[in-house]
Amino acid sequence: MLIDLNENPTCTECGLCREVCPVFQIQQREEYSPRGRAMLDSAGIQTLVFYQCTLCRTCRIVCPVGHDPSGETLRSGLIAVGEETPANQVMIANIRQYGNPFGPLAEGEIPKTLTCC
Amino acid sequence: MEDLESLFQPGQVSTREETRIAYSRDASRIQGECQTVVWPDSTDDVARLVRWAVETGIDLVPRGAGTGLCGGATPQNSVVVDSAHLRHLGPVDIQTKQIVVDAGIPLDHLNRTLHSEGLFLPVIPGSHRSATVGGMIATNAAGLHAIRYGRMNDWVEEAVVVDGKGDVHRLSFNESKYVVGREGLTGMIVQAKLRLAEIPRNRSLTLLRFEHLEDMLNQIRSLKTNPSLSALEYLNPQAAVVVGWAAKHTLLAEYQSGDGEIMDLVEMATLWKTRESLSARLTHAGFPISEDPQIQPETQESILDWLTVQGIPVFGHLGVGILHPRFLLADPRIIDLYHRVITAGGQISGEHGMGLKKRQWASEALKSDIVALKTQFDPHRVFNRGKLC
Ligand SMILES: Cc1cc2nc3c(=O)[nH]c(=O)nc-3n(C[C@H](O)[C@H](O)[C@H](O)COP(=O)(O)OP(=O)(O)OC[C@H]3O[C@@H](n4cnc5c(N)ncnc54)[C@H](O)[C@@H]3O)c2cc1C
Ligand code: SF4
Ligand code: SF4
Repeated sequence: MLIDLNENPTCTECGLCREVCPVFQIQQREEYSPRGRAMLDSAGIQTLVFYQCTLCRTCRIVCPVGHDPSGETLRSGLIAVGEETPANQVMIANIRQYGNPFGPLAEGEIPKTLTCC
Repeated sequence: MEDLESLFQPGQVSTREETRIAYSRDASRIQGECQTVVWPDSTDDVARLVRWAVETGIDLVPRGAGTGLCGGATPQNSVVVDSAHLRHLGPVDIQTKQIVVDAGIPLDHLNRTLHSEGLFLPVIPGSHRSATVGGMIATNAAGLHAIRYGRMNDWVEEAVVVDGKGDVHRLSFNESKYVVGREGLTGMIVQAKLRLAEIPRNRSLTLLRFEHLEDMLNQIRSLKTNPSLSALEYLNPQAAVVVGWAAKHTLLAEYQSGDGEIMDLVEMATLWKTRESLSARLTHAGFPISEDPQIQPETQESILDWLTVQGIPVFGHLGVGILHPRFLLADPRIIDLYHRVITAGGQISGEHGMGLKKRQWASEALKSDIVALKTQFDPHRVFNRGKLC
């Protein structure tokens, strides 16, 4: 065409999925929308933004071409390059060391903090 | 010069890489360069940002949902001003059938809220899930029901806009021409008072299929005489097959009466969903370039015939002459189409706007119009610099 047009092999970037995404509703920034994630992925960026997805798949339901810009695959890419959130690192370390995600717990003690990705 | 971050609250400005990538283009996928994104919370925020832009010489690109198809919201090393925080809805005035809304409200959100009052904003572009009121005003959006309800300029009672000097204007219906359809060149729309319509009590649909284009165009003449006709959408054979329909010239006619054959709500919703999926499906099928010429009834046959013979998928709001032929990347026939449309007395942009994509196709009359508006509202060329002038 007349102007530099970006190719995105998976997502048409129509933006129809923005408003259904619960993470976008809170963040209100394009990089957290399903389209934004697909754009970051197609730019080859590994980013912790990919962890901020509830895996609800509402984006795929409304997407006219059935694209799924949600979490698992994008997160697998992060794990492969060793990118983790600090909370995730703590959780994994706790599981390895104490056999639970909460950290050291006395017998019968109710955990006070829950770390998650 | 003051640092942009120091003018706003934390979280209202971002320069991080993820943000700059996600805001570097709109749905046209015309690539640009985003320097920073700012999320104003108020009219004052926008005015402060404009004064900063005048001082620094950096240009601003207003952005709604980024569903535009001509690179209108694509930045060129600019600061993008996202209206996503401007989402306040005022109370509905039932008597006058009006509502005051912030520019960042998405259309479906607005219409869901209005539903209990039996009212709606009836300008419905195919992007209604996301498109914002501000973006729709700036592009003078038309859409699926334009045959009955016209386009945005008919529905904007008042618009509040911050111009390129940082001055705030409250434009009346008659003055709204300074901002409606001006693609954000005269300033950032922050709020609007909108006229509303009553939700129709009855709706029905008919799907019509034709072997021959001429027969279909003849039929349209009689369909248009029905005063309850509220949509007349067209798919040519190449577009129809993409959504799994027969390879025929196809019309989707909606009536605000029982005149259509299909009355079942689920069946109607399925047909509309299929029609609305066309744009993205055609992009996915390898036809990413969306055109939007508007053509008079007398010349529709020759242009539609040419497009169909060329194997180009076409759909659109034929009731008002707006067509969406879809092209391959770098398809030389796009220029051929523009010439045909201009020769036929039509417009090469019927509803998407000129943006970056068609700026060199602007007529001399349009350019001088824009230069005059720029002198009045944006002498420092703060807004959407490089688009149209
Ligand atoms: C699948 C699909 C279907 C579509 N169907 C239709 C259709 O039927 N009819 C139709 O008319 N269009 C259609 N469009 C095009 C597009 O959705 C419309 O142009 C829409 O009005 C853009 O709204 P937006 O909020 O996404 O604006 P953006 O894309 O964010 O911006 C569009 C233009 O408006 C300017 N702008 C945005 N917000 C403001 C503001 N607050 N103040 C000043 N300027 C502003 C931008 O600078 C830009 O020039 C479709 C697009 C898609 C992807
Ligand atoms: S799956 Fe993730 S990206 Fe998709 S809508 Fe849900 S939270 Fe948003
Ligand atoms: S994921 Fe689907 S709906 Fe969302 S922008 Fe991409 S193509 Fe459009």
